[in-house]
Parts: sequence; C-alpha cells; structure tokens
Amino acid sequence: MNSDTSTTSHTPVVSVEHVGLRFADVDALQDINLEVYQGQTLALLGHNGAGKSSLIKLILGLIKPTSGKLTLQGGHALQPINLGYLPEDVSFYDKLTGWEVLSYFAALKGVKVTRVKQLIAEFELEYAQHRQLKTYSKGMKQRLGVAQAILSHPDILLLDEPTVGLDPQASQFLYQKVESLKQQGCAVIICTHELSIVEKHLDRALLLAGGRRVGCGTLNELRHASGLKAQIKLPNFTDKVRGDSYLQSLTHGQALWVSTDERKAVIEYLVQQKSCTDFSVIEPSLEVIYHHFMQQQPLHPLPANIAVTDASPKGWLQSLLSPLARQSTL
Amino acid sequence: MNNLQFTSPIFIIAYKELRDSLRNRWILFMGSIFMLLSLSITFAGSAVTGELALPPLVNLMSSLSTTAVFIIPLAAILLSYDSFVGEQEAGTLLLLLSYPISRTQILMGKLLGHGVVMFITTSCAFGSTAALLLVVGNQYSVAEVLSAFMQFVISSNLLALTFVLLGYIVSLRATEKAKAVAGLLFIWFMLVLIYDLLLLTVLVSDVGFMDKQLLNILIALNPTDLYRAINLISIDAHRSGSALSMIGDIDLGLSVMYLLMLGWISGLLVISQRIFSHKPL
Repeated sequence: MNSDTSTTSHTPVVSVEHVGLRFADVDALQDINLEVYQGQTLALLGHNGAGKSSLIKLILGLIKPTSGKLTLQGGHALQPINLGYLPEDVSFYDKLTGWEVLSYFAALKGVKVTRVKQLIAEFELEYAQHRQLKTYSKGMKQRLGVAQAILSHPDILLLDEPTVGLDPQASQFLYQKVESLKQQGCAVIICTHELSIVEKHLDRALLLAGGRRVGCGTLNELRHASGLKAQIKLPNFTDKVRGDSYLQSLTHGQALWVSTDERKAVIEYLVQQKSCTDFSVIEPSLEVIYHHFMQQQPLHPLPANIAVTDASPKGWLQSLLSPLARQSTL
Repeated sequence: MNNLQFTSPIFIIAYKELRDSLRNRWILFMGSIFMLLSLSITFAGSAVTGELALPPLVNLMSSLSTTAVFIIPLAAILLSYDSFVGEQEAGTLLLLLSYPISRTQILMGKLLGHGVVMFITTSCAFGSTAALLLVVGNQYSVAEVLSAFMQFVISSNLLALTFVLLGYIVSLRATEKAKAVAGLLFIWFMLVLIYDLLLLTVLVSDVGFMDKQLLNILIALNPTDLYRAINLISIDAHRSGSALSMIGDIDLGLSVMYLLMLGWISGLLVISQRIFSHKPL
C-alpha cells in the first residue's frame, strides 16, 4: 500500500454523504458514505451488481442520487471539476488510428494537439500511432484508453477495470502511471476485481455488497475491522513451539495465528524469550479480507442491470418482432 | 481532427463521422451503387422497350425517383442503425456522455456528419449523371436538367435525413445492433413498400371516399410518398403516364411539400432528442 500522502489535502475532492440510488423497485445503492482526497487511490471493490458502476456514474454526474449528497471539489475552486474516465472494456473506433482517436477526444475536451503528442510518447505508442486500432493489442488499447482519460490533467480519475485481460507487464505499466498521477495530486478511483494487483497501489478501499457499504478504510483499518489474524511463520516451527503452552495456544497448522492486538506481544515474546529473529509475518491479504467481508453478507439479489427474459412464446415473439419494446441500459 | 481546427463539439463529432465513413469506404461503396443505378437507368433504361435511346427528362426523373425511393432510405438506415447502439455496445457512448458535451450536441454532430455523407454520395452520383447526360444528349435543355437534378438531389437528401433520424430513434431504443437493423428493415418495408402499395391500390381503384383532401393527408403521412410527389410534381410527371404518376395528383404545392418534409425531419429530430435525453444509463 502506498502511504505517501504528501500531495493529499484536507478537503475531499469527492464527498459522498448518505447517498442512495433507486431504479424502479431495486435499491442500487443504499446509504453510501465516502471521501476521497487529492493524491489518494481508492479501490472500489465488490461483486458483480454490487453498485460499483452506479457509484462511478454518480460521480461522473451521469445519474443523480435518489437521496443523499454528492459533492465534487476540484483543485481550482472557480473552475469546473475536471474528470477523467476509462470505462470497462471500452472498444474505441477500430477504423481510426490511435492518433485520430486521441485527437478526437482531445478536441472534445478542448485539449491541444501538443498534449496528444506528449501522451502518445509517454504511453509508448509512437510506433503505432498511425495504425488503425483494429491492429492494436489489448494492452495498447488500454494504454490509449488511460491516455484518453488523463488528456486534461484530471482532478479525479476513474478507472473501471483498467487491467482486466492485461499481462503483468502491461498492468505494471498502467499502475506506474497511476502512481505518477497521484504524485501530481490526482485522486484516483479504481474499480477492479483484481485484488492482488490493486492491493499494492491503494490508499483506501470501499467494499460494496448488494448496494451497501460493507467496509471502508485503509488496508490496516480493514484488517482490524475484519478481525482476521496474521500468520507468523518460524523456521523449525515444531521445535520452537514444543513445550511452550503460550505458542501452542496460537498454533494452527505450521504457523502462529495472531490478532492485531496480540501481534506486538507475540513478536516481543519470540524475540526475547525464544531468541527468534528470522520469522515472517504474513498479514491477511486484500483478497482474504474481501472474501471475509463478502461472506458476512446475505445472498445478493439479481443485479438490476440483468434483464429478465420472458421465455413464453408470446414474449419470444415480441422480442423478435419489436426491438423497440425494451429500454436499453448502458 | 488533426488538420482542421473545429472547436464546437457538433463539428468535431460530425467530422469524426465523416472520417469514419471515408475510412470504412462507405462513401465509396454507396456512391458507386448510386452512380451505377443512376447511369444504368439513364443510359440503359430504354433497353426494356426494345430500343436504345436517351429517355425524355420527365420519364428519366420519374424512373430515377421510383428507384431511389427504395435505395436512399436503405442507405440511410445502413448509415445510422448503429449510431447509438453501436457506441453503447463499444462503451464509447458512456465515455462521450462523461465529457463536457451535451446529448443534443452529440445528436446534432452525428446528424450533421451523416447528412454530409449522404450529400456527398448523392450529389456525386446523381450530379455526374446529369453532367454526362448534358455531354451525350443534345436534346436536353441545360436549365431543365440542372433544375430537375437539383430538385432530385435536395429531395433525396431530405428523404435520407428522415431515415437517418428514424435510424437514430431505433438505435437509441435498441439493445443490440442486430435488433436495430431488424427494426429498421421492418420500418423500411412498411413505409417504402407496403404503405406505397396500399396507397396506389386505393388510387387506382378510385374508391368513393378518396377525395383530394384524404390523398393529401395520406401522402403527407409518409415521407417516401412526399418524396415521390415532390419529384413527380417538379417535372410535371403526368406526361410520364405511369400509375405512380397519380401521386402527382396531390393538391399541395412544391414548397408546401418541402415544408412537410422539413416538418418530418424536425419532428423526428425532436423525438430523437427526447429519447436520448431520457435514455437510462
């Protein structure tokens, strides 16, 4: 986890207070509270249909909350908030070249061509800039997508599944860019299922399940809130533990399992009483914490954006003959 | 985007649509189809009567508009069916909406772009036919040919815009590209083939209730019949003697019919805008 908060400010750039969102008779979000500060990375985690995309659309201003208040505050009070967004699995215009796509979005944002040139170089796409997008690899398209998202030096950057389908090198490249943006004071919100990758880069995480907030905080705060124990692994484990009732009481398998409160005392005990210094402490990973929080939740209802198909002959005929009959959802 | 410095999002989007149509060779393909059709009707159309001769201008424009009324709506549908559902499937619609541009600007940008694409294809194809006709045929008056073809190109583009907007409406409501195409082909089938056929049946059978007022209304209710009527009236098509020329019996003046066509375009534009602004995200 990145603990550098030198660029953070005390005023949140995103402030979500008791926000609720309702679609027809489904609560997509209920009583969500959240604050994101400059130079912070927030990981937005949750199962499919948990409400992550709805929260992103709320922050983007594409939909209005049914209840509560959502405030965005840019770096410059007099200027409108500057947002950058990379949608999930976006497929840019295949017939256009990388240069044309980036120039198109730059023009729509009123960004100069020099910035397009700079980003093409920064994202190492110079060699392919005049090739049509259909010839690009997934990694190249994602790099172009992130370049598009940061065209206007955004105050808030929203990335929806930015590393899905990417090889480790490409993922690392993207997160390096995210780190560099953080250093410049950009608040980054990443919606992802790739917990092991995002774990190294997040400052805070918001866990959603069934539209509700089930956890929020830094990794340490989440660990503490979960009550999950850390593992302490020792060399010659059996010898060290044999005859020691205190250590045996903490033993499960070939490791000691200690809570956050006990950890300091156990480590001191190992060092002072057992003269043991080459042990390793394995904290519960984000993935373990995530599964712990999710298992506490009841079974989730069908996500709101999954259409229920009418399987009757009449319904089938209606769907075949009338494409106008159903409202679409993005 | 890189050479021209447009600042309005409408022009930026329109230019991108134009570039798309050039890049995927839509303009080349559809322009060639129009030109082939137009040249065949003009220079080989008389072959069905057993002789090879350039037809009188009245007959030529009647034949051209009769064929174009099928092809132009189809071309407009093919151009516009995926304008919104395609961007939605690709994820770029959500991205565009996150930009500091309004939905109306997106809609107008697309309409302008597609309007220009249709204008380029129709004016190049039909314009070059007119030019060839003047070079090859001595019997035609330059002013008459230019006037007839100008009316033809203008009315063709108005008809195209109508179907482009119908394409937007279906594209905005559809959940998949395939369903948008199916819906639009159904609309095309009903408006271009069935409605026309029923109208002609009524006209030919000369049923009692069919007064001029009702004929005017029935023609005004279908943009393809308005298009036919505009082209038939502008060339005094009674001389062509075809059954379709009975549509030319309409009481409305040319300018009223152009206004009706513009009314169709404005109405469909308002409906598209309403649907887009209420589109759930």
